[in-house]
Amino acid sequence: MKDDNAPLSPALQIYRPQLTSVLSFMHRLTGIALSLGSLLLITWLVAGSMGSSAYDMLLSFLRSWTGLLLLFGWTFALFYHLCNGIRHLCWDAGYGFELKTIYASGWMVVAASLSLSMATWLIGIYAMAGGA
Amino acid sequence: MNDQSLRSALSQARGLGSAKGGSAHWWTQRVTAVALIPLAIWFLASLLALGRGNHADFVDWLQSPLNTILMVSLVIALFWHMALGLQVVVEDYVHTRPLKIFASVAIHTGCALLVVTGLVSIARTIT
Amino acid sequence: MLIRSPDQVSRSTLLKRFPVPKNAGVDAASRIEQGKVWPAPPGAKNVKRFEIYRYDPDTGENPRIDTYEVDLASCGPMVLDALIKIKNEIDPTLTFRRSCRDGICGSCSMNIDGTNWLACTRFIADTAKRATIYPLNHLRVIKDLVPDLTHLYAQYASIEPWLKTATPAPEREQLQSPEDRKQLDGYYECILCFNCTSGCPSHWWNGDRFLGPAALLQAWRWLADSRDEAKGQRLDDLEDPFRLYRCHTILNCTRTCPKGLNPGKAIAEIKKMIVQQKG
Repeated sequence: MKDDNAPLSPALQIYRPQLTSVLSFMHRLTGIALSLGSLLLITWLVAGSMGSSAYDMLLSFLRSWTGLLLLFGWTFALFYHLCNGIRHLCWDAGYGFELKTIYASGWMVVAASLSLSMATWLIGIYAMAGGA
Repeated sequence: MNDQSLRSALSQARGLGSAKGGSAHWWTQRVTAVALIPLAIWFLASLLALGRGNHADFVDWLQSPLNTILMVSLVIALFWHMALGLQVVVEDYVHTRPLKIFASVAIHTGCALLVVTGLVSIARTIT
Repeated sequence: MLIRSPDQVSRSTLLKRFPVPKNAGVDAASRIEQGKVWPAPPGAKNVKRFEIYRYDPDTGENPRIDTYEVDLASCGPMVLDALIKIKNEIDPTLTFRRSCRDGICGSCSMNIDGTNWLACTRFIADTAKRATIYPLNHLRVIKDLVPDLTHLYAQYASIEPWLKTATPAPEREQLQSPEDRKQLDGYYECILCFNCTSGCPSHWWNGDRFLGPAALLQAWRWLADSRDEAKGQRLDDLEDPFRLYRCHTILNCTRTCPKGLNPGKAIAEIKKMIVQQKG
């Protein structure tokens, strides 16, 4: 006998975040962030096709604090999505499903994406500041 | 829907049956993902190299045949992967049918338009 | 925080629930309210608090959280022992499923401290200071900790979990080599406790059409069986953007299986077999 007033047991409200669900959600979040970033990519290509005044205007925005912040976020999103994406491709091939490996690879993805973002930014700052 | 409660549980679980499809979407998503690994790395490296440059440097860089080919490949692979990925997100969270259809069509149309915009811009830059 | 097996409880105190309001996105009938506190008997030395989800279909009131103070000095070691003690000595209306008390029947699955497990194989010592006990997630609650599993059983039935052969049955056993029999290891042991399915976010959002890890693991069990002759038809029935492909390898299922099985891997094998079918 179905009771239509019966409550639905809580799920998202009480389930413990674990490495599995958190990294998966981050993969989706960074994917959406990258999708928004790709609009910026097209804007850059369009500006490039429109001549130096349009291009320079875009570049001055990108070099502003807002622009740099966006680029920084985009870089992290890219590296995270890339590293976790490779982890996903390994799963799709059937590898890495033991719980031990899931956790180890998960932490590796977090470490790799953070360090790769940092490294890229250090290189970028060095390059912008006039280094060789 | 109130009439659902009189349907048997098996009928509700079976629904309209299997669509007998969906693996193409899954496979293409993975193929574009694999393609994007080297393309993204190349793109990031290029951006770092172009960081200090001006418009002339950008045009020079894009005019090199290798860079043109890779840029075109990146634009196509990126938006294909993005369209498939966003479609999955819509299917996961949007449950009202008309909105789901509209969102999926908008995503695919939008990505197609963005690809065309990107390719046309590249063509106009290098010529 | 390297987890080697699913019975390792997460010790992290950093993030115990997603940072959403307690009753976020919940319809009016499901809003959880504060309930009663049942104090420990006087003189009890080793007192533990259990915060338990309660819902009484007869009153039709909203669900609530009741806090029970249990004297662990006279209680068995498992969470199920505490629940039975509460029912026997404190509040006989507390309702939950249980049977074997041995981790094999799958009846006592529930959400303990935010993750799904069997109450009879979860040590009280491994629970938080204030242990929280909820029914399995995103399911209609019949009463207290008893969720309605009808739809989950129907999804299991829909994958046709029996041997399908066109060849007439042999006079004696269907023959199977040891190597072929090994392909079923890790899949036949499923006790259908549905911890995995109710812990899967994809099943929360699309449970009406997504089969979920339990049904899909069993679907793989039959696909992997060398004696089964209907692989093509099984694969066709599974290949669907919702029935199978709502799985995004979130892997909460593998993390939470109280029998140490791997539904995530089984689902990946199904997807691989479908690709193989296509060429």
